[in-house]
Amino acid sequence: MNPFPMVWADIRALRWTALAIIALVALAVAVGVAIGAQERALRRSSAAAAEDFDLLIGAPGSQTQLLMSAVYLQPDAVPLMDGRLLNTLAQDERVAGVAPIAFGDVSKGYVIVGTTAAFAGRWGRLAPSQGRLFAREGEAVLGADVSYGLGDSIAPSHGVLGASARPGVAHEDEAGHRHAGHDYVAVGRLPRLGSPWDRAILVPVESVWEIHGLANGHAADDGRIGPPFDGPRIPGVPALVVKPRGVAGAYALRAQYRQGGTMAFFPAEVLVTLYRALGDVRSVLVAASFLNALLILAAVLLLLIAVAGLRRRRYAILRALGAPRGYVLLVVWLGMAGLIGAGCVAGLLAGAVLTTMLSGVIAGQTGLRLVFAIESQEIAFVAALLLIGSAITLVPALMSYRAPAVAGLRD
Amino acid sequence: MPAFTSPERKPGRAARLQLTGIRLDHRGGDGRPFRVLDLAGLAIPAGARVGLRGASGSGKTSLLHLVAGLIRPDAGSVSWGDMVVSELSTGARDRWRQATLGFVFQDFHLIPELDVAANITLPLTFSQWRIRPAEHERAAMLAARMGLTDLRRKAGVLSRGEQQRVAIARAVLLQPALILADEPTASLDAAHAAEVGALLVEVATETGATLICASHDTALLARMDRRIELAAAQAAPFESAA
Repeated sequence: MNPFPMVWADIRALRWTALAIIALVALAVAVGVAIGAQERALRRSSAAAAEDFDLLIGAPGSQTQLLMSAVYLQPDAVPLMDGRLLNTLAQDERVAGVAPIAFGDVSKGYVIVGTTAAFAGRWGRLAPSQGRLFAREGEAVLGADVSYGLGDSIAPSHGVLGASARPGVAHEDEAGHRHAGHDYVAVGRLPRLGSPWDRAILVPVESVWEIHGLANGHAADDGRIGPPFDGPRIPGVPALVVKPRGVAGAYALRAQYRQGGTMAFFPAEVLVTLYRALGDVRSVLVAASFLNALLILAAVLLLLIAVAGLRRRRYAILRALGAPRGYVLLVVWLGMAGLIGAGCVAGLLAGAVLTTMLSGVIAGQTGLRLVFAIESQEIAFVAALLLIGSAITLVPALMSYRAPAVAGLRD
Repeated sequence: MPAFTSPERKPGRAARLQLTGIRLDHRGGDGRPFRVLDLAGLAIPAGARVGLRGASGSGKTSLLHLVAGLIRPDAGSVSWGDMVVSELSTGARDRWRQATLGFVFQDFHLIPELDVAANITLPLTFSQWRIRPAEHERAAMLAARMGLTDLRRKAGVLSRGEQQRVAIARAVLLQPALILADEPTASLDAAHAAEVGALLVEVATETGATLICASHDTALLARMDRRIELAAAQAAPFESAA
């Protein structure tokens, strides 16, 4: 037998109701898919953004706050730590690299980060896509998304806490807090990292110190930048990023700098805690969206039972024309399961669109580049709904199967 | 002039229809049973054309449903040749109905979302996946014979007369040995009723099928070999013996 001509006729008879059923199911599926996929994308891209930050050392305070400030460049007032630690760590044999991360200034809404050329190139991992890294004070290398061009002059302003920084747009407060006569010149641009650092302007830490009226950390005023910092006074920095040589060394360093006026931590361990909380929220939301989808399926089922009731005569006619009961069962079931299946597929697509849109919003706010991927979790979510939907549509199908033909003919 | 028969499909052989000791009860709105049909015996020879006449409620439709195997009598039996249809299981009656029967309704009951061709070939999809080219041809030939030219029109937009022609083509597609028609002309105006009535009788005559028509239409009844008057079995409700 071939029930499909009749299935198609039934769906056509529903007209807009069929589209509404598909849209309802699609919406329910899309929300579930988007929540799951979004949370994973956020987790992955935030972990990727923290990749070059093996160990962070800062003044005692909130680890999360330091992580958000140093890795995700969310402006915050962070206490400073003794700058001499830079040299101590540079001489430590367990350390492969150490760099300061000094923030506080902005230009056109972009965060200006003072560091070393070595860390600007991520310990040799990145080569500038245009130009070169900074080599003397007053030079700057741009993140991939910074709208300045090479050779442009960049006027730094003292960042105002709580000012809503929109990258690429100069805040009105910027003009009032400009560091006059301390413009940087853009000499290079870094390749895209997919992290907030794409929106940062990297400059020598010496320049940041000097702009703020501090020593530049060097004994001779010969314009040399970078380690070693051999000056009599080394100004404080908000954070140090350390690249340890080995795992044992990393743990030893963390233990050592957890005391004596500093704190040290692996960004990964803070992220794991955050992810656990995020994952709990995700689980709750996914469960809620699954229940939500079940509610929608239940409503759709009621609607379909009503429709099947209205079609009693239609199916009775088929029986009188010689259709076996199994044919009627298949017509009803395939039509309804088909609508729910179409809703599930449309929901996967809509979920992808929704996730991409949300990712755009998150990227706009944080600079994190979120990559959408449908994975087994989402497939399982949709498959479960499809299975339940197919199972419950058997109810109206069996009702039509069992209905005596003659009762429908007499209506 | 191509006939209603086709070389591809052997027409079902009409057999003698025998109803014996039929009693059929329904339950009324008050839950009390009332007798719908009470027939001591009725025999219709193979290939006969029989009109069923009777007032509304006299059980014409119920008799057709009994013959079609859609319901079973409370007592008595319905036989088609050697086969006692009323004793068959639901599935077996479904198969017998598909192999033997063509049904024409008062209100046509086409599927409005399907086109003329798909409506005519719909009974084929009950038992097979694909409709063969020869079967498409036969459907087109039947439609042409019924005066339907555009096979792609949706059934929902056809006039009433056209719809009943499609319904007749659908009923005879599988060359049934038994054609049942329930008031086939009652929803049509006089001119269309005459045409449809003539076509129905022609179809039955050409294929040698038995035709049973329940109707009030005297013109249609006049085309039949034989007319059976059904009287209301019991005007007043009675207590069921069972």
